[in-house]
Amino acid sequence: MTAECHTDPAPEASKGGEEQARTGLRVVLVGRPNSGKSSLYNTLTGGNAHVGNYPGVTVDILEADVALEGGRTATVCDLPGFYSLAATVDADTDEGIARRFLDAPHDGPRLVTQVIDATQLGLGLTLTKELLRRGEALQLVVTQNDLLEADDRRLDATALEAALGVPVCLVTGRDRAARTRVLEALAAHPLGATSAGTWEPKALARSVIRSIEAGAPSTGILGPSRRQRATAALDRLLLHPLLGPVLFVGIMTLIFAAVFLVADPASDAVNWVMGLLGKLITRGLGNGLLASFLVDGVLGGAGTVLAFMPQIVILTVAMELLDATGYLARGAFLVDRVLRFMGLSGRSFLPLLMGHACAVPAISATRIIRDPRERLTTILVLPLMTCSARIPTYALVVSTFFSDRGALFRAALFVGLYFAGLLAGLLASLALRRTATKGRGLPLVLEMPSYRTPQPLLVAKKGYLAAKRFLRDVGTTILAVAAVLWVLLNVPVPGRGSPSDPVIERSVAAAVGQGLEPITRPAGFDWRMNVALVGSFGARELMVGTMGVILGVEDADNDTTTLAQKIRDAKKPDGSPQYTTRTGLSLLAFFVLACQCMSTVAAIRRETKSLRWPAFVLAYTYGVAYLASVLVYQLAGAFGIA
Amino acid sequence: MGACLDNVPVGQTIRVRAVSLSSEEREWLGAVGIVAGEVLTVLRRAAFGGPMHVRTEDGGEFAIAQSLAAAIETESAG
Repeated sequence: MTAECHTDPAPEASKGGEEQARTGLRVVLVGRPNSGKSSLYNTLTGGNAHVGNYPGVTVDILEADVALEGGRTATVCDLPGFYSLAATVDADTDEGIARRFLDAPHDGPRLVTQVIDATQLGLGLTLTKELLRRGEALQLVVTQNDLLEADDRRLDATALEAALGVPVCLVTGRDRAARTRVLEALAAHPLGATSAGTWEPKALARSVIRSIEAGAPSTGILGPSRRQRATAALDRLLLHPLLGPVLFVGIMTLIFAAVFLVADPASDAVNWVMGLLGKLITRGLGNGLLASFLVDGVLGGAGTVLAFMPQIVILTVAMELLDATGYLARGAFLVDRVLRFMGLSGRSFLPLLMGHACAVPAISATRIIRDPRERLTTILVLPLMTCSARIPTYALVVSTFFSDRGALFRAALFVGLYFAGLLAGLLASLALRRTATKGRGLPLVLEMPSYRTPQPLLVAKKGYLAAKRFLRDVGTTILAVAAVLWVLLNVPVPGRGSPSDPVIERSVAAAVGQGLEPITRPAGFDWRMNVALVGSFGARELMVGTMGVILGVEDADNDTTTLAQKIRDAKKPDGSPQYTTRTGLSLLAFFVLACQCMSTVAAIRRETKSLRWPAFVLAYTYGVAYLASVLVYQLAGAFGIA
Repeated sequence: MGACLDNVPVGQTIRVRAVSLSSEEREWLGAVGIVAGEVLTVLRRAAFGGPMHVRTEDGGEFAIAQSLAAAIETESAG
């Protein structure tokens, strides 16, 4: 294990001024995707991170303060990975964000630390040249040096430093000394402006990588490294024309199965704890309005938020693992042709996959899509993917109306609902690419990184951050909507009904629900269903809980059996069942299509920087959802489904 | 004149002679590492006209859309 750093000592004369300049030093980590940047960030900061606040940069840029020798500190910022600053197409993509960050005026000294993968030095040096042309104070940290050494090659850092005129630091994969060395090197950096020079990236890379035995520069084409050979062998299997797609479907199925198997007991545990807390509050405060507000409004909302956390975390961790191993790019390669039918490309694969957990982080993940039209299309169809918040309602409908069917039928119905979301996304994308996002797209160019072993700490950290972001971006909305909904369900409209009627039937929500009945009757929805749908306009997670409140089932999130029975038993004034299989199917159609999530709408607003697109998503998803549920209800009736 | 990249058989190594694309797309390909003079090996093609998987001389591997490969003129790497 080695960490070798070469630094030019700062000129003696400038030491005093430099001392002062180094106070508030900002170290900006940049590099190509898969260069080992996140890993270095973690090593330097010890995993500490908070989201920096940068004017004009609307995305989360992680930063952390690190202590330098002599009690000084530097702030290390982690920019998204990018290939080039010069070839920026869209200001909102990762490279656009990085460029805006670097272009923004900064007070205090700044050092750009570029992370380069030693096994792809030539490619990394192309970006180095761009950074030097900009005159950035630059430091190079070359990672994966151990992999180079495993192939009996070595990087001559002194020669590279001499050619570039900037300090070069070599670190190995899991090097304990790397932190100290890199920090020493950046503390000693003269922070002077740089110039590009006349070197050519590929030629320079070849001249500084030497064979360990001969000590002479490697010339001509280098043979594939050990890791590349292992990658090639794995790719022969994972990208096999027949086996590849089969394994891909298998891996995706495993991930979703894991979500259901692991997240379900975790969510049940959260619900159980919340139920217990609710009972304690009721015991302490009695059955008054305040207790009801705290238990049903606040605690119910918090429980709903927390119950979704396990799914979000598991899916995020699974995706991080896929990304860290290098398989995600293979998935994109395999599905590119399918996505092209939708007018998208393999680049949209990650956001679309993430959308099956939660559309909010998925919308942020579209920043990896370079083509502005493709990116916008992906954002606009993401609300149609089957996010985890739809699952409780699907489960309720399936257990209410299809409990007499076999487990296989119910499982097939569930899978069918997932595919219904994908099909809706496909059709919406096809329509959008011919209308709103019409135009020639940028063809796919996607790096296929070598396979790697993921670093558990880094993956765990991403899972933790995902949970935190979910709480911030989605949790607060759900909590607020739950509280407002409680008021609407519990405050009676003066003069409405007789005092002996349950409050719920005299409530503001009931008035709204009944007002909507003429519109929703063709879809089979009565006022109660309308109230639940209006309640889930802000957050579809609240559907089951709201149905529970309306039908008088306490703790409906936990006790869906009682709720299902109540729904089956509900009668119209003429004594016929209020809700039938037709209603269930119609409700499913509505839930597949409608964007019942204010957090998603806010995320679309944030990413598109316009009100037009979130309004468009609301209008088209609700319009189509209404038409689809009317169609399903009427067709089911025509086909004699009760 | 050699074939365009989309017609190069799997397993063959070629040199990029020219890239006939808009300057924007050419710049992007260049940033990723595919420029005139670069030596590429075609590793595989995805099914049904999907992307091509190529490796550059430096060891970088990329998936490139067939439409883009059709704009990359090649010559013998020898």
